[in-house]
Amino acid sequence: MKIKWLTRTAWVFLALLAVLSLIAPWLPIADYRAMDPDARLVAPQWTTAPMLGTDAQGRDMLARLLWGARISLFVGLFGTIVAMLVGVPYGAFAGYRGGRWDRTLMRLADALESIPMVVFVLFLMSILQEYRAELAFVGFGRLQLFLVAIGLLFWLPTARVARAEALRIRQLPYVMAARSAGMRGWPLLRSHILPNMMPALRVMLLLTLPRVILMEAFLSFLGLGVEPPAVSWGGLASDGLAAMNPLVGSAWLMLLPSGVLALTLLALQRVGASAKN
Amino acid sequence: MSKRFAKRLLSLLISILLVHAVAFMMVRSTRGGPFDEERSLSPQVRVALEQRYGLDDPLAVQYLRAVGGLLRGDFGPSLRYRDTQVSELLADALPISLALGGGALLLALLIGIPAGLLSASKRHPLGAGIAATCSTLLLAIPNFVIAGVVVALFSFRLGWLPPAGFGQLRHLLLPWLCLALPLAAQIALLVRARTTETLQGAAVRSAVAQGLAPAVLLKRYVLRPSLTPVLAFLGPATAALLTGSLVIEQVFALPGLGTFFVQAALARDYTLALGVTVVYTALLGSCTLIADLLMAKLDPRVEALS
Repeated sequence: MKIKWLTRTAWVFLALLAVLSLIAPWLPIADYRAMDPDARLVAPQWTTAPMLGTDAQGRDMLARLLWGARISLFVGLFGTIVAMLVGVPYGAFAGYRGGRWDRTLMRLADALESIPMVVFVLFLMSILQEYRAELAFVGFGRLQLFLVAIGLLFWLPTARVARAEALRIRQLPYVMAARSAGMRGWPLLRSHILPNMMPALRVMLLLTLPRVILMEAFLSFLGLGVEPPAVSWGGLASDGLAAMNPLVGSAWLMLLPSGVLALTLLALQRVGASAKN
Repeated sequence: MSKRFAKRLLSLLISILLVHAVAFMMVRSTRGGPFDEERSLSPQVRVALEQRYGLDDPLAVQYLRAVGGLLRGDFGPSLRYRDTQVSELLADALPISLALGGGALLLALLIGIPAGLLSASKRHPLGAGIAATCSTLLLAIPNFVIAGVVVALFSFRLGWLPPAGFGQLRHLLLPWLCLALPLAAQIALLVRARTTETLQGAAVRSAVAQGLAPAVLLKRYVLRPSLTPVLAFLGPATAALLTGSLVIEQVFALPGLGTFFVQAALARDYTLALGVTVVYTALLGSCTLIADLLMAKLDPRVEALS
């Protein structure tokens, strides 16, 4: 009973956040980029004008948080989709074909797992900086690079789940029946196997989302995430950490973005766990 | 056992070579080098520089030279730090990172295993709830936030420990804590899940029926099966430590591998970045290998399966 209530709250929170970040450009809030040298480091007023205070450049924190939500949630969602677009076909193919294909593909996945992927992806991002002009020409900014990098990082667990599911479904009677009726290959995968993988994949989506959002925060913190003036929660928290010192009490600069981030991740975890059961 | 070990070792070496090859190709494919910075160099200077770093040889020669260097642990000169070999930087940074990671892992085990065991035992219903909440919370908070909170509390508010720096043991205490907490949470969850299962099993029930002392019961029937998932987790834990150390070393200004790597990635010091990547791969690979061997030792069924 208590758990159900928690899950419902989590859904409401996530929905509210999504809607607010979607309509952020039309909300009556300050411009998130506008600096105000006269109002630096104003503590949260809660009821009047800078409701959540301002940062070291006098920018409105409420606006920055909402615009940060746009980037963080967008990257989370699309990064997860990229990971699934890579992982699901890979795993489903391995599980569906079985035998030698399965062994080879899964051994490759094992080998990839023993490589520090985060480091490798950081390395890749740093190298790709050199090709910014070319990438920008084909419409690839930092954000798109990011999504590809995230896809590279998170497709492996998805592939494993997809494989396990494909192996299980392959042996179910209706798939056997379809096979004996002569159905093979892509049509079989599409009409019988993939649709029945959906519940497991939905859980995987919900479980991957928080990890991707966390990874975005991590990369932004290291200075390899989204570029200013764009803001994300990770970048905000890292700004807050940089502004923190014992003389000026400005803890809200770090606590607000990380609080929202933690709440979102908790809500996603809760929702994911409830979908799993 | 030894045959399996040799096979694993071989595949580790191959994956190091592969990572090195891919990273090398990526570095060489960039035409913007470290030498075209703010001001343009005269052609003579550029040629001299390229000759000094061996960038004017054919690609294959460069690669073979790089592999030769790799075998000797030599990654060439750093592109950023003048007159410094990458291997010197690595030799300075590696002990710091090892101390950081090793200490954090130990601390995580020391916190995580007892917490998991405690929260699994039915005698502490309140403790179980607290442990579960703490674990989920720790997993949902980025580690730089944990670091910020810990620094604000222990350094600024209480003034017990230094917020950054390196040299003494007390400089390492906070980084250890920050790195260990999320890992401890995961370990606690793993131990809790397995112990709950073990406690309901037939082995424990008959042992209880025989009137075994709780200490013996714990040692002989509960601890051993409960620790296998922890060992299996050591590989991913090392990966998490590597990732975490990138951030934690930055926050606490520790001159370890992570700091060097992030700086190298940002400052286009590709030889250094490549060196760190290879060292990381070797580290992660060997930790996974050791964890697998330990697991086979603890649980003979693992050996039979593979």
